Amino acid sequence: MTELKPITALGAVAPRVLETVRYSLRENDGVAFASLVLPADRPAPAVFGIDLPEPGKYAQGDAGKSAFWTARHQWMIEGASLAETDFAAALKAELPEGRVSEQTDGWITFDIFGTKPEAITALLERIVNLPAATLDPGCATRTSFEHMSAYFVRRSDTHLSVIGMRTLAGSLWHALETVIRRLDVDG
Amino acid sequence: MLIPHPLLGLRDAQEFTYLGDANMMARPDPTGPDAEAAFCDYVFLRDNPAGVHRELWFHEQGDRSWLVVTRNTVTHEILSAELATDVARKDA
Repeated sequence: MTELKPITALGAVAPRVLETVRYSLRENDGVAFASLVLPADRPAPAVFGIDLPEPGKYAQGDAGKSAFWTARHQWMIEGASLAETDFAAALKAELPEGRVSEQTDGWITFDIFGTKPEAITALLERIVNLPAATLDPGCATRTSFEHMSAYFVRRSDTHLSVIGMRTLAGSLWHALETVIRRLDVDG
Repeated sequence: MLIPHPLLGLRDAQEFTYLGDANMMARPDPTGPDAEAAFCDYVFLRDNPAGVHRELWFHEQGDRSWLVVTRNTVTHEILSAELATDVARKDA
């Protein structure tokens, strides 16, 4: 068989990393995604140890698994470092009554770490057209950023993930890098 | 213009796309005896009030829900926003 070389969303062999004074921006190609829809007429069960979050929220579970709310009765389930596995099948096995669809290659995660919580707050003020409290730690939402639509997941006070469509990875990286470099200069 | 999303709170209108009159949810019965005339009205006739208007907005860059937004077309004041699925179930 032809030798195939896997590449990341940004087209390289290894994920791209940008380190600046106040920020670290990292392409994370290891996250597996599966969307989960549950029937409206019963309470949401726990999945992988995650209590499925309310609208606008994010929750962590066992072994690097987490979830954020995407629409009514619908969540995105994430598995850190599980992109190479059949994550949707694992989710379906965990919750047979759920409607599951594989999403891993549809999205790319860009992790942003700030040296201090204020660095993330300053970044959010530039990139998200929402009140700051909408993205307090433990919150997640989808909104528009430049000409794109992306999920913003605030995993901790110094860690924000921006999850965009894989086809827009280059534009999304460029937009984030531009703002981060500007904030490093302007403070 | 800010739209008060019932689940997500105030959201900028730029996140939404506009469809039109919320009466589009009241699709006539295609098997009814006057279906042709009813569909003619449904497709071509719209009220265009200067004042309070119920309209459908799609939260395209958000949770992808359809909302019924009651808006004053003169002042742009938004009087209410409900999930269209809830409105449809209530009217059913």
